[in-house]
Amino acid sequence: MSERERQPGSLLPVLLAAGTALYGAYTIRQALLPFVLSFAVAYVLTPLVDAFEAKGLRRFHIVLAFYLVGAAGLYLLAQTLVPLAVSEVSQVQTDAPVFFSKVQHLAAELQSRAARHFPSLRLPIGQFAERAYASALEQLQHIPAYLLGLFPLLSLFFLVPFITFFLLLDGPALISSSIQAAPSRYVEQSLHLLNEVDAALGHYLRGILIIAMAITAASYVGLLALGLDAALVIAVLSGVSSFVPYLGAVVGALVGGIAAFIQFGTFAAGLKVVALFVGIRLADEALLQPFIARYSVHLHPLVFLFSMMVGGEVFGFLGLVFAVPVACIVKALLGVAWEWYVSEARLRGHETRSCLSVPYT
Amino acid sequence: MPLARLFKKLFSDPASARKRAFLRSLDLFRDLGFVELGHLVQNMHSRTYHEGEVLFVESDIGRALFILETGRIELSRAGADGKPQKLYTIQPGEFFGEMALLEQLPRTATATAAEKSQVFLLYRSKLESILHYRPRIGVQIMTHLAQLLSSRLRRATAAGGPPAA
Repeated sequence: MSERERQPGSLLPVLLAAGTALYGAYTIRQALLPFVLSFAVAYVLTPLVDAFEAKGLRRFHIVLAFYLVGAAGLYLLAQTLVPLAVSEVSQVQTDAPVFFSKVQHLAAELQSRAARHFPSLRLPIGQFAERAYASALEQLQHIPAYLLGLFPLLSLFFLVPFITFFLLLDGPALISSSIQAAPSRYVEQSLHLLNEVDAALGHYLRGILIIAMAITAASYVGLLALGLDAALVIAVLSGVSSFVPYLGAVVGALVGGIAAFIQFGTFAAGLKVVALFVGIRLADEALLQPFIARYSVHLHPLVFLFSMMVGGEVFGFLGLVFAVPVACIVKALLGVAWEWYVSEARLRGHETRSCLSVPYT
Repeated sequence: MPLARLFKKLFSDPASARKRAFLRSLDLFRDLGFVELGHLVQNMHSRTYHEGEVLFVESDIGRALFILETGRIELSRAGADGKPQKLYTIQPGEFFGEMALLEQLPRTATATAAEKSQVFLLYRSKLESILHYRPRIGVQIMTHLAQLLSSRLRRATAAGGPPAA
């Protein structure tokens, strides 16, 4: 063998460091939240900033212009959409008692039918209906408290744009600093690692944002076509939920179906909404997913499920949102480690070209 | 026009302009436009190496192309006695390690900064990304690399290598 065989170093210190970092992240997860969200937003916006920077403009001016345009856009959005959303929510609150009376009526009807066919079930069904009605009324009374509980989250509306501003502005400088800090001989490896993580994370986050926006728009148009009063609120809810893979259509179908039943008073209306979200989900699978999956890291369904369960268990809702990107990063890191191992240990042959014996012409 | 100059002074990025001007001066990127050079700058990394710092060691797996902006880089190879033998000194504007962009093979020499040097790095996967998203830039680079390989092979053949048909 003409080339020197080299044994790759032990992975134990790397795994120990990764474990310690994960434990540290878990212990300070509350403080990390605005940074993680800002990081995700910056990741999505960076290609836009880069596109303008490539034209020779200063990064500071581009980011500032983005913020000014974004603020103006949010102001206009708030002027038009917030009153609409508020009126939709008030409508839902107004319709709620009617809905509960319908549910009660339905339960009573079911109870009487069940009693005719199965006399022994009369009492349990009655008790269940009473308990469900009482519980729903109790939850309705707690809505103001729930809304007040969301106030600490408002700090994120100020913190996230603030942190994102600096990440957008100094992102390339931070990467340059980390490359400068890497030991000179290992700069290539550091770049390899950075590029793989960057690709895995960037593609996933941009992909999921495109899906969320498409689901919001498609749901809004579809619900408006079906004549639903709370179209905007349900569409936004469905869009936000779709940051957790597959959840958007489920939430939309569930909430939209109930809202349609309240508004129109028929099961058929609810079923139409469910059919709409099934259609949106299928369209997403057929049109968007192939385009997004082409650039994303492919995860095995079991790995996908496992990462979602672990994310949800450890970090709650945000864990569900960020479980897949973290799994993508882990997969990219493992891929890099394997590639290093293969190339360093010379496991891969290189002389695979044909026509090598043909003279130079 | 004074207004255009004022706009340029206020809004254009001097650091990026300097990098573009340097990259455009190289044969490798001479046919790229202004915005294409901007995309290239974003895909390259710049690093300062101090005197004596090792960029890579012979038999390390290569994964990046290096372009010297300022300073001097010395290429050496271990001789039969194990002592390093000087092969070549890279001057500003020259690039090296380019074969790493084509194949992940062991480096055939050790690169050491002979003085404080500013170096651009184009990483292999960044080139792949450029080829995918900005094929015009990628094709320019790959064409130039192919021409370089062809020239070297022609020179090796002329010097008594494999017969040319």
